[in-house]
Amino acid sequence: MASFDISKYRSMFLEESVELFENTDTLLLKAEESGHLDDEEMNSLFRYIHTLKGSSASVELSNFAKFTHEVESFMDKLRNKQIPYQADMATLLIDCVDAMKTVLDEEVNGTLTSQSFENLTREYINIIKEISEGLSPNKQEHEAQTSTEPQANRVILISDDAFGFFDDDFIQQSETQNSNDDGFGFFDDEIANTATATKEFGIGQVTEDDGFGFFDDEIINIDQTDSISETSIVNKPTEDHFGFFDHDLQIKHTQLETSSQDTLPAQNISIPDTQITSKTLEEKKEATAENKEVKAANNIRVDLSKIDVLMNNVGELVIVNSMLFQLTDEIADIGTRGKVAEKLKLLDRYIRELQDSVMAVRMVPMETIYSKFPKTIRDISKKLDKKVDFKHIGDNVEIDKAMIEGLTDPLMHIVRNSLDHGLENPDARRTKGKPETGTITISAEQANGQILISISDDGAGIPADKVALKAVERGVLTKSQYDQMTHDDKVMMIFSPGLSTAEQVTDISGRGVGMDVVKTNITKLGGNISVATELGIGTTITIALPLTLAILDGLNIRISDKNYILPLASIVESLQPKSDMIKRIGDGEEELLMLRNEFIPVVRMHKLFSIEPEYHELTKGMLIVVRAGTQKLALFVDEFLHQQQVVVKPIDKNFTNVKGIGGATVRGDGSIGLIIDVIGILEEQKKYERRRLR
Amino acid sequence: MAKILIVDDSNMLRDMLKYALVDGGYTDITEAADGVEGLEKAKSTVFDLVITDINMPNMNGLELIQHLRTIPLYAKVPLLVLTTEKSDDMKAKGKAAGATGWIVKPFLPEQVLKAVGIVLKK
Repeated sequence: MASFDISKYRSMFLEESVELFENTDTLLLKAEESGHLDDEEMNSLFRYIHTLKGSSASVELSNFAKFTHEVESFMDKLRNKQIPYQADMATLLIDCVDAMKTVLDEEVNGTLTSQSFENLTREYINIIKEISEGLSPNKQEHEAQTSTEPQANRVILISDDAFGFFDDDFIQQSETQNSNDDGFGFFDDEIANTATATKEFGIGQVTEDDGFGFFDDEIINIDQTDSISETSIVNKPTEDHFGFFDHDLQIKHTQLETSSQDTLPAQNISIPDTQITSKTLEEKKEATAENKEVKAANNIRVDLSKIDVLMNNVGELVIVNSMLFQLTDEIADIGTRGKVAEKLKLLDRYIRELQDSVMAVRMVPMETIYSKFPKTIRDISKKLDKKVDFKHIGDNVEIDKAMIEGLTDPLMHIVRNSLDHGLENPDARRTKGKPETGTITISAEQANGQILISISDDGAGIPADKVALKAVERGVLTKSQYDQMTHDDKVMMIFSPGLSTAEQVTDISGRGVGMDVVKTNITKLGGNISVATELGIGTTITIALPLTLAILDGLNIRISDKNYILPLASIVESLQPKSDMIKRIGDGEEELLMLRNEFIPVVRMHKLFSIEPEYHELTKGMLIVVRAGTQKLALFVDEFLHQQQVVVKPIDKNFTNVKGIGGATVRGDGSIGLIIDVIGILEEQKKYERRRLR
Repeated sequence: MAKILIVDDSNMLRDMLKYALVDGGYTDITEAADGVEGLEKAKSTVFDLVITDINMPNMNGLELIQHLRTIPLYAKVPLLVLTTEKSDDMKAKGKAAGATGWIVKPFLPEQVLKAVGIVLKK
């Protein structure tokens, strides 16, 4: 007996439900604002909820299905105008859908109990019932059939007569089965030897309880030529059709039915030949010509891991090609060498194009993230009694799909912070001379091989001193550090763990575990985050992310006899310093590079990696100034070498996270290149500085 | 080998239906996500059976069936609707559209195969 892999289908359902819920939210949010719902919108809403119900039932999420059925019936009555739509119903529906989401979550996680189900749904079921009470009595009866008893066990909602036929021909077939639990039925009236069959197999009374759907019991007895009336399609005499419904088949069918309910003769099904005559071919040609106008969306769903495999394979091609290129040096004959090199260059170009194409497959528009915001913003602003206008720019800017997960939560948190701490309530805003409705804007743009995403609000701004003083209080900073900090430095303290200046921790944000996690997540994606804020005016948080996690433009650098790869995007400039550019502070241990009135801390890379460098004197080696977030560092290396594009391979599966290393790659000559993680180095540097100041 | 077209806007349901059919030996399955796509596919290949959901965007299942019935090639091809209810209303609508029969969802694979077996036995 064939059976479904429930877990596989459940996750497919959950995936689909995300989109369905989003579509529902978008429609309802619009309706809530505008005050009305037009016919098309009502039908769409009905369809989304209907699909949620049907699909969830198919994967045995029966409690969710039951509650959703209530909401679906309500939607049905609304769209059929049995209940007139009122403006406040949008809010009710939003609440119902939110309840549906919670029920779904709990049922999937196994934490749904009859009690919690009651608590979540009873209120709404009652409200819906009250509204529906305005209906006529017989319609109400129909409604009463649906039991709203919550079920703690999994129940398969499969109806008894799960199929039926309109076609008497099929009807008789079904009738010959004694089972009542057929989930199908036939309407079609092209008919056959029904009378004969009926006699032969002694079919009893047809009642509604039987498994099969008959439309016209009379038709069964009508002479075949008359039965054409129901459908306009049948042109030929019905005998042709019934050539296959011979008694032998019928007998076989009955025998099989009575012998075993479980197995079906899947093999050896005789299929009639669909004779394609020249006439029908012409018709087909006509049809395909029409097709050109009927354009269906040509999409396929692909598992992200398949694309990762593809990316990886293309990356390997890049590497091998690189190796071949290096090998050409060993070709003695100059002529041959030249020819081979030329072809390899061509190959390289095609491989890059392939790489770009695969990259493009992974890219999705920012709109995917933006669509999640309106509902959350609406919910929170309602809770806080604040008025907010949400603007979004750069919907079409594309970002690597692999980044979406890591990015959505941080962005959400930043927005919640804006709503909670940033934006003032309408009264306060009015007092300040600001419009009562605050604005939160999120925008995305591509620049310099990066994606820049910024979230700004026109709220109260971040109190830099307050934040930094809190950090001192918590021991994250010393008073002397505080005194030396710039306004921007102080603001960056919001990313310190365990910090919260909110007088009361709200359940929305302010628990002090938010912004530091945001920063960590952004760092993990290879990006950095910066803040611009002004008291009374507002705050803008900017996130810079690499276009992709997969490929990197890097610079090979040498420390001692070891080569590392430094991401090109983080490099500001490089130089061989003169002795007067180096300042020593503290006890002489700390070195700073003075570059155009800026003091940049020097990091001796060989110390970080514990290797003996070629040069100990800063003036003999190279300083590479890199940017990590809003801060700069000068990395001291022996030499810098050539640039190269590499495919990043994560290493933390096999090795513990080494601070300062953020991945690896295989070079053209087959050697492994470790990729430097600039942010990691910055963090190490900071730790070192703090330790020194104690 | 019977060519079967299944039309449903839910990937999950199409998958479930497809694998129920494949397990039953019907391996030539084509999918479409809505009535428009279904009609397009039905026009370029002659299927032996079409199973379609009713509620779909762009063109619903009943409309699809109505369109198909206007094509002579599909005059006698069994067209089944997948529906979540078996009410008289559904039946009336299905029949009026020209459907051959219905299958209720959620469905058990063997019920689908039973119904398909019956209609394809010609």
